[in-house]
Amino acid sequence: MIHAVMIINQLGKPRLLKFYDQTDTATQQSALRDIYALVSQRADNLCRFISYPKWANARIIYRRYATLFFIFIVDHSESELGIIDLIQVFVEALDRVFENVSELDIIFNFDEVHYVLSEIVTAGMASEVNLTEIARAVGDARKLAKPIEPSRLGLASFRRGFS
Amino acid sequence: MFEKSLTDLIQGLRANKRNETAYIQKSLEEIQSEVQSSDTNVKSTAIDKLNYLHMLGYDMNWANFNVVEVMAASRFSEKRSGYLAATQSFHQETDVLMLTTNLIRKDLASANVMEVSVALDGLAQITTLELSMDLFDDVLAVLGHSRPYIRKKALICLYKLVLKYPEGLHAFVPQLKERLDDPDPSVISAAVTVICELAHSNPRNYLPLAPKLYHLLNTLTNNWILIKIVKLFASLASIEPRLAKKIHGPLSQLVCTTTAMSLLYECIHTAIVADVISVPVPIVDSIGREVEFADLCARKLTLLYESPDQNVRYVGLVALSLMQQKRPDLASIHFEPILKYLDDPDQSIRMRALEAISGIVTRKNLSKTVKRLMSQLILSNTIALQPEHSAGSLFDKSSVNSDASSLDTPLLDSNGTTFASARGAIISPRKANSAASDPADNPEYRLAAIEAIVDMCTRNSYSNLANFEWYVATLVDLVYVASVDVGKLLSAKLLDVTVRVRQVREFSIKMGRSLLSDSQLMSQIAADSSQAPIVTTAAYILGEYCMLLPANADDVGFLLPESLPRFSPDQQSTFIQAAMKTYTNWLKDSSEYWNSDIWESVRSVTSTTLSKLSELIYTEDVNVTAAGSNAGGLESAFALLPLQMNSQLRHFIEILKAVSMATSNLSESAPHICQELHSLFTAFELNPVSAAAQGKVPMPDGLDLDSFIGDAIPDTTLTVIPPSPPPHVVRSHRSGSMGQPRRHNSSRNKNDPFYLGSSAKDGGDRNFDDLPDVDDIPVVALDLSHIGSTKLVDNAKKSKKKKSKKDKSRPETHSKRHRRRKAKSPSPSPPIAPVEIAGDEDMIDDSEDGMVIAGQQQQTVSAAEQLAATTSERSIVDNPGGDNIGKNEGHRSA
Repeated sequence: MIHAVMIINQLGKPRLLKFYDQTDTATQQSALRDIYALVSQRADNLCRFISYPKWANARIIYRRYATLFFIFIVDHSESELGIIDLIQVFVEALDRVFENVSELDIIFNFDEVHYVLSEIVTAGMASEVNLTEIARAVGDARKLAKPIEPSRLGLASFRRGFS
Repeated sequence: MFEKSLTDLIQGLRANKRNETAYIQKSLEEIQSEVQSSDTNVKSTAIDKLNYLHMLGYDMNWANFNVVEVMAASRFSEKRSGYLAATQSFHQETDVLMLTTNLIRKDLASANVMEVSVALDGLAQITTLELSMDLFDDVLAVLGHSRPYIRKKALICLYKLVLKYPEGLHAFVPQLKERLDDPDPSVISAAVTVICELAHSNPRNYLPLAPKLYHLLNTLTNNWILIKIVKLFASLASIEPRLAKKIHGPLSQLVCTTTAMSLLYECIHTAIVADVISVPVPIVDSIGREVEFADLCARKLTLLYESPDQNVRYVGLVALSLMQQKRPDLASIHFEPILKYLDDPDQSIRMRALEAISGIVTRKNLSKTVKRLMSQLILSNTIALQPEHSAGSLFDKSSVNSDASSLDTPLLDSNGTTFASARGAIISPRKANSAASDPADNPEYRLAAIEAIVDMCTRNSYSNLANFEWYVATLVDLVYVASVDVGKLLSAKLLDVTVRVRQVREFSIKMGRSLLSDSQLMSQIAADSSQAPIVTTAAYILGEYCMLLPANADDVGFLLPESLPRFSPDQQSTFIQAAMKTYTNWLKDSSEYWNSDIWESVRSVTSTTLSKLSELIYTEDVNVTAAGSNAGGLESAFALLPLQMNSQLRHFIEILKAVSMATSNLSESAPHICQELHSLFTAFELNPVSAAAQGKVPMPDGLDLDSFIGDAIPDTTLTVIPPSPPPHVVRSHRSGSMGQPRRHNSSRNKNDPFYLGSSAKDGGDRNFDDLPDVDDIPVVALDLSHIGSTKLVDNAKKSKKKKSKKDKSRPETHSKRHRRRKAKSPSPSPPIAPVEIAGDEDMIDDSEDGMVIAGQQQQTVSAAEQLAATTSERSIVDNPGGDNIGKNEGHRSA
């Protein structure tokens, strides 16, 4: 299963932390620091798999998109290359939902990113890889939810024209 | 009152980078009042904000109750916030979870699909045993939902529930099987994923699903699900080998035809793990030739690990290291290509290459591989290890990138389909630097490399090894280049090869000597004890096999280094024991050509060693120094030493004193004594004994180790010091009798509760008997039994008194000691033999024994064993019939 999903920017700031094992805040933060240290050291031409000794059987699988690292921590029942593809699915889904997604979108809509993720990974298991299905589910939920208030300074929201 | 929205909070955080903590503190105070608000909108916004701060490391468990309130909100957006916050912060012990049962039940039954979905998602993550029991039936009902979207989530949710509530499996598994026929691929995918997880822990229960899965394997085209099914078959085939033959067909078809690297890898992986490659059915490959599946896999593997994509290369190496475990013959052709990956700049790739190569290595290419690894270790050893990547940069405010344009960079290219992104544009210089660092600097990699070297050399009882001396030299080189803590590993391997391979012993001694004589290394160990085990092993080897090489007086000096007090008591006693052996060995060698020069050097070495030992005792405890250096001070210093050291030192000092007395003038008898001393240690050869050997010796019938054989032997306490004023020793020497100190020793040793090695003394006595000039040695002429017995009685009386006062608190020690004594008692019955072996095995592996017994008793017992090991290990083992022991016991009881 997938133990955790993280989005960290290149300076180590968390943009999304999702732990599917129930872990306390301190463990989450220390894992964040450890993993950032491991991931940020690696050059772009290296492979996307790192073993994570602190966590039994866990492997870090990550991809880098512009300023962000998308990091999945998985156990051995997941396929490595499959997760690489799943990260791509996640980012493409975000791109559909936010139209040309950037780090700012992820910062200001951190709850929405959680909801997108929950359509792809349910309780630590990949449940949908079809982009159309994911976008439809997110869209359905968004229709139900009240319209997001136009924020006073949220440039991202303005640009997207949520209203 | 005006409340901040989530966006306000995030903007505020970005605007207040300089005093973020203060800002967050202020926001938290606001949130604390907002969550009390009666307006659910305000409340849910507060929870959202709290959730954001939780991501930054702030606790939100204090608001658990408010989270439940928001979960119960009627508006979907608020409900969703509540569920999200619950999944982020609740844990198994969260008390408010019991309030959620009905609320979740209501949501599960909602007519709104999205509400059901949110409830399923949330429940799957926060469930406890109680929630699972209460809501299992509700979720099971949802499994029949008309929307596949809900069915797939319900499957995963049910899996999470049965993890907590295994009784639910009976109802769940039939449903799960039914879902494999679902018209929707996502539901099938979820079902396969769940079976995969379940079968991981208990494959047997899911074997009945194999036909259905086999059908899916043949019909599905969705790679994502195929990967899962192929993985699932790997765990199913582990308990049902016949499946290997069954899936041979579809699997080989997939390997031939698929273009997806991920699926190809998973197929090969399963083929290796489930041993499908051994199925002797040829297959037809893409161009119509008949090939063995195993060959095909091996060829496809090349495709994987030669791929330009590092990720594919990585999994290719993983598959190769698996294959090398199952079929080394097939893997060996990959040696050359893998060797080059040992120098890959990517540590992950290197680690996998290491795993793969240690099994592929053969006798021919072993030294080449080891050389390659050694050169990595040596080259990077000169570079200081990089400081741990600063986690502090996470909070380093000055470095926070406020460049909005970089944040705005699209994550995906304009067409959104290519994987390559705008990366590289904003790589900080720090990153570029660290990327250039060599993986060989990484301690993790160094450790793995050293383990791989040792593993490939020792594999299959050294079958890869052509030259043992080269191996020993490599081990010693590793001591210098390691810079990670491998002392234990290297010392175990050094000892193993030296004990098991007779031919390499001489070389091992030389290498051990070079380690011990390296003053830089020895002083380094004083600061960092990670290498101490290997030096200790070197000392052991030097002591144990010193007679193989011409004796060298320097050895004794090497074995009593200045840094010795920094070693652990166990290691110190090994050193002292080894010093004792090398010393006596050197005495023996040099006394063969006895002349005045030799006499001089014996005297000087003896006195230097004696003074070194005394120093050693006093550095152990500075307080003792005040007691002065006379013999009385020495004795009181002994009492403060760890027990095993105590007896070790005591005996060495006795030997040294005896020698110094014997050699006080150029007496003719001195060489004899000097020569005989070493025979105490070498009467019988010590052979390696398997750790499991003792278990194979059956317990003789009627052997009861708990009953007394004869009268209980009067016990003495630890602190009994035989009355031995130094003037007495000197006087007895002046009287010209060589036997005096020796007799004195023997009587003292008899009273020493830890002197179990009396039989060795008898071995020594017997050797005296065998000498032609036996009458020259006064010790034989003396009436030992008479003196011995009177002293024994004296001491027994004293010690009985002491014992009754002091020793009541250690009944365990007594019974153990009794048992050991009994084992060496004069019973002529054959059942004794295996027990003696037991004693010997204890000595071989006394560290383990010591661990079992705790505290003081451990010290006592292992001290006794150590002592026995020094003086009598050989004679105990191989003494046929135990007649010598009997003779000694006769002395004692006379």
